[in-house]
Amino acid sequence: MTEKLVINFTVNGEKEEKEVIIGQTLLKFIRDELHLTGTKEGCEIGECGACVVLLDGKPVNSCLILGVELDGKDLITIEGLSKNGELDRVQKAFIDHAAFQCGYCTPGMILAARALLDRKPNPTDEDINEALSGNLCRCGAYQEIREAVKASAEKK
Amino acid sequence: MLSYDYVKCNDLRLACQELEEGEQVYLLAGGTDLIVGMRGGKFSAKTLVDIKDVPELKVLEEDDRGITVGAAVTLNEAVVFAPIRDNVPILAEGCHSVGSYSIRNRATMAGNICNASPAADTAAPLYCLDALVNIKSSEGSRSMPIKDFFAGPGKTALNKGELVQSILIPRPYPEGKGVYLKASRTGSVDLATVGVAVQRWGEEVKIAIGAVAATPVRAFSVEKAINEKGEKNYADAARLVHDDISPITDLRGSREYRYHMVEVLVRRGLEQTLGV
Amino acid sequence: MADLKTVGTSVPRKDAIEKVTGSAEFIEDRYMGPMLYAKMKKSTVAHGKIKNIDTTRALKHPGVKAVLTGKEYPNRIGLYLIDRTFLAVDKVRFWGEPVAVVAAVTEKAAAEAVDLIEVEYEELPGVFDPREGMKPDAPIIHEDLANYEIVPIFYPEKGTNIANHFKVRKGDIDKGFAEADKIIERDYYVPQMQHVPIETHKAAVQWSLDGKLTVWSTAQSPNVVRQLLAKSLDMPMHKIRVISSYIGGGFGCKAGASIEGLLVPIAQKFPGHIVRIVFNREEDMQGTFTRQALYSKLKTGVKKDGRITALQYEMVWDGGAYTEYGVNIVRAAGYSSTGAYDIPNVKTDSYCVYTNNSIGGPVRGFGMCEMQWGIERQLEEIARELGMDPLEVRLINGMKKGSTTASGQVIHDLDYDKCLKVVADKIGWGKKEESRDGKYRGKGIAGLVKCPAQPSNAASSAMIRINEDGTAHVMIGATEMGQGMLTAISQIASEALHIPVDKIDIKVPDTDFTPYEWQSVGSRITYTCGTSVKRAAEDALGQIYRVAADLLETPQEDLSFDGKKVFSAKNPDLTATIREVADSCKKCTGEGIAGPIIGRGSFVPTNMTNLDPETGQGNPGLFYCFGATGVEVEVDPETGVVKILQLACSIDAGKAVNPQLCTAQLHGGTIMGLSTALYEEVRFDKGIMLNRNFTDYKIATIDNTPHMDSFIVETPETNGPYGARGIGEQPMIGVAPAIANAVSDALGVDFNTFPLTPERVWQAIKNKK
Repeated sequence: MTEKLVINFTVNGEKEEKEVIIGQTLLKFIRDELHLTGTKEGCEIGECGACVVLLDGKPVNSCLILGVELDGKDLITIEGLSKNGELDRVQKAFIDHAAFQCGYCTPGMILAARALLDRKPNPTDEDINEALSGNLCRCGAYQEIREAVKASAEKK
Repeated sequence: MLSYDYVKCNDLRLACQELEEGEQVYLLAGGTDLIVGMRGGKFSAKTLVDIKDVPELKVLEEDDRGITVGAAVTLNEAVVFAPIRDNVPILAEGCHSVGSYSIRNRATMAGNICNASPAADTAAPLYCLDALVNIKSSEGSRSMPIKDFFAGPGKTALNKGELVQSILIPRPYPEGKGVYLKASRTGSVDLATVGVAVQRWGEEVKIAIGAVAATPVRAFSVEKAINEKGEKNYADAARLVHDDISPITDLRGSREYRYHMVEVLVRRGLEQTLGV
Repeated sequence: MADLKTVGTSVPRKDAIEKVTGSAEFIEDRYMGPMLYAKMKKSTVAHGKIKNIDTTRALKHPGVKAVLTGKEYPNRIGLYLIDRTFLAVDKVRFWGEPVAVVAAVTEKAAAEAVDLIEVEYEELPGVFDPREGMKPDAPIIHEDLANYEIVPIFYPEKGTNIANHFKVRKGDIDKGFAEADKIIERDYYVPQMQHVPIETHKAAVQWSLDGKLTVWSTAQSPNVVRQLLAKSLDMPMHKIRVISSYIGGGFGCKAGASIEGLLVPIAQKFPGHIVRIVFNREEDMQGTFTRQALYSKLKTGVKKDGRITALQYEMVWDGGAYTEYGVNIVRAAGYSSTGAYDIPNVKTDSYCVYTNNSIGGPVRGFGMCEMQWGIERQLEEIARELGMDPLEVRLINGMKKGSTTASGQVIHDLDYDKCLKVVADKIGWGKKEESRDGKYRGKGIAGLVKCPAQPSNAASSAMIRINEDGTAHVMIGATEMGQGMLTAISQIASEALHIPVDKIDIKVPDTDFTPYEWQSVGSRITYTCGTSVKRAAEDALGQIYRVAADLLETPQEDLSFDGKKVFSAKNPDLTATIREVADSCKKCTGEGIAGPIIGRGSFVPTNMTNLDPETGQGNPGLFYCFGATGVEVEVDPETGVVKILQLACSIDAGKAVNPQLCTAQLHGGTIMGLSTALYEEVRFDKGIMLNRNFTDYKIATIDNTPHMDSFIVETPETNGPYGARGIGEQPMIGVAPAIANAVSDALGVDFNTFPLTPERVWQAIKNKK
């Protein structure tokens, strides 16, 4: 049984070649091998959204993907969202609106919100609810999150 | 962490070969049920065959026969596919009811039916549309109506060595409205307590229901009353649904509540599709 | 409060950039180098004798370093009632209780080894309902209860499963009922719920070669972890260091000492090595604190004019397998048992009963959600019986300045009436909306009150170091779990010290370096830690003035400090920058004045007392925080689905140190309350927790979140820092009864329990027919 495979991928704009253990989830690979610990584990079964990352631009639950499936893909984690020290609009809006408390769900929440704005630059409340309902926030910052996402929409 | 072999397969023939020759081979497309199932000990895999990039399985197209949804097409891809949205919106609703947006970026319709949960949200709409499951193996191909595909909770009619290549929503498409009405505990991301699909076909209806028996079921008693006997009182018709279902009590709802909710949702489905 | 500069403004969170960039460090994010990984072997029976544990195969498994069972480490631990061991010893008392722990070089090896441990049990009859557990013939869960060490404000009944019986006897209950025109009596039930913070419990432990124990933990209260471990291990405190990172949500489940003890003995076998444990979601739900279920019987006597003359409350709490912490929830619910109302004659009996369900423990509200559910529901029935407006009944009986609580404590700084009225106004109270589309509308209101449930000697302390350039470090032992403590505390420091908030640094605690803090629980940190920080800042400011006076050779009384420079009001030429004051503290002559400035401040309550063991009378409340919730619902009578149309909440914060964060707490607590009101209930089958993941235990999502209107009332708390009081837990308390009252109003049916799932609402309608 082969234990490891070599995969090629892009992470936060950088090309990488790495060995990955078969059976390791993408979430564990990101945290333990890429040492990008902004991506969080909350349930391991795709119910909480704390592990959401962008794979080829789409939000996915990294706990339900194997590390080997990253081969040939483009991965963005929360660490890759700010560019040259400049925060993304969504990140700024989350600060302005106090759209987080403990901060544990925040990386996944922000990435899911970023992906929503990429496909729907001016989302309605319903769009936001649909896009973020797979991201649990036990602190209950949902109202502030909704406001932050709306505020970071493109101005009409 | 679990140990198994991983084979990335870009060739349908080779995928079938792996399935036929290997022991405890599982197919990985979206993985959203598979990885949860492996973690929970429901599946014990020796080999995973990753089929998500097999070209034949990526097919999402409409032709003379109908709409073909390849096994590796994600639910989000299906939801926004114009022929589905325009011709069979009930299926788009079903797809949209599965999990969260980020789950639907991975999860597939084929995976949803292969997991064979009686509560699968795409199943009831597919039953109403008389969908066909296209099955492939090294021996060849065969098709089977969706109703024959579900064999019991977690069980399908697939034989060893067979995989689902695609799902066909055949022409002619239904004339008239279809709705998928789902009852759940939170009304947000949740499994169906019951799921009711009602599809108008001209002057007739087809009704299918999830989470009320070992497999999704058609509500033939109700259909017969409407289609053959011309029953206009939808409440009376909906009451007949009790003969078609045999729900159980579980964490999501009691048997009694399920009986009740199916009746309510069937009636509402009839009202919404046939008009009050 | 005149001329506040920072307190009362919404400065951005101190942890903002870290949290939106993913760089905020939680325990598991800390790179610790090669580690040993620990996994638990869990009990498969709810109540049973351990006949044998065979670890032979596990020990031989590749990668396994050690396996430890309870027998090898029978030390007890507990906050109030020392009834717990790190691992089960001789018997197990709940399903999933840890019976052995494995340490291995990989998580995989540890998990595999756990499966190789064989445990033989002799199953014993279990207790799964505390009312059964109180009966004389019930199986006894803790045979040694009478010998357990206990803080002497709790009253276990030896030879029974009753771990605490708390009594209130206020006024004359018989007279109170005799005066009443009507008597109403109902049973209520509140099921268990789970905190489910998105970050589960995690800990790492290292013993150094010279015998020092270092613990990294998700604990809300590092000082208590240190205290409990020191006692349990009989170690001096300077040999134990507890470090906290950011915490991914606590809500009570990470209070006290929780999982650290699992690692301490096994790590001791490998000095120098770090051993870590990470609970998965299932372990977290089933193995850590659960909100205690409450079975209660509430009887009130009321006059025709709406005035309540007597209240008799019997509460039976499902304490679960261990009640080291739970005994105090039972006590708090007892001494607060009139809720937000002034009732002259009270008889309360609050029982904490051992069962073989999961361990009961603190959750946001600390008994108040459960206890006030009954009160706020019963007020609705009182109003209906008397034909009065439910708001009016609340206003008549609601506490006012000079009112007394169930324990006889006199209440001062409050405006409960205003809390009620603002939410009532917002939802259009009194205007009944007609039903439409076959759906019924209703409105409901509920009040709330809570004081911190803390021992009367629970202290706080703070240090403020002024750097050479005039910036400052605030050092405290409180933890940041989302509540915004770092920000509010630095605002208080800034206000008192006059140094701008962006020139103040503040971090999470490390018991080797940060001063004592009892616990970050009970909505108390803004008040208690805030007071000690204010005192430390005033101490530092005094030193700044003393040094500057010497430096400028001018009387101290003439000096002012604007955050940048100290100057004389009388002579504008006399100024010294803070840098000059703080830096070398030297005069131009080169003579020294003083060394670096370090401010210190301490706090311990002076207004609290123990309670009389027979009557429960005394002063248990550090401060009382009031609020209210108002709701309008639309109910589909066919499906039972409740839709929230309006949701308004108010809280009397005294002074909102940071209004934006205060509002965020208000919203967050309200959503948690809504989630428990509509969806949440832990389900057990003979002690086995059935819904221990997010597929089966549903919590509110953004999709379930209606728009909320929030109101911060500010009646200054006399002894709070700048008039502030804590508000973190309170917003949750009124939500479930307010929603139930609204649904009741819509349908004309009553609910004695929640969550109001569609099925339960439908059932209630059906039963009425």
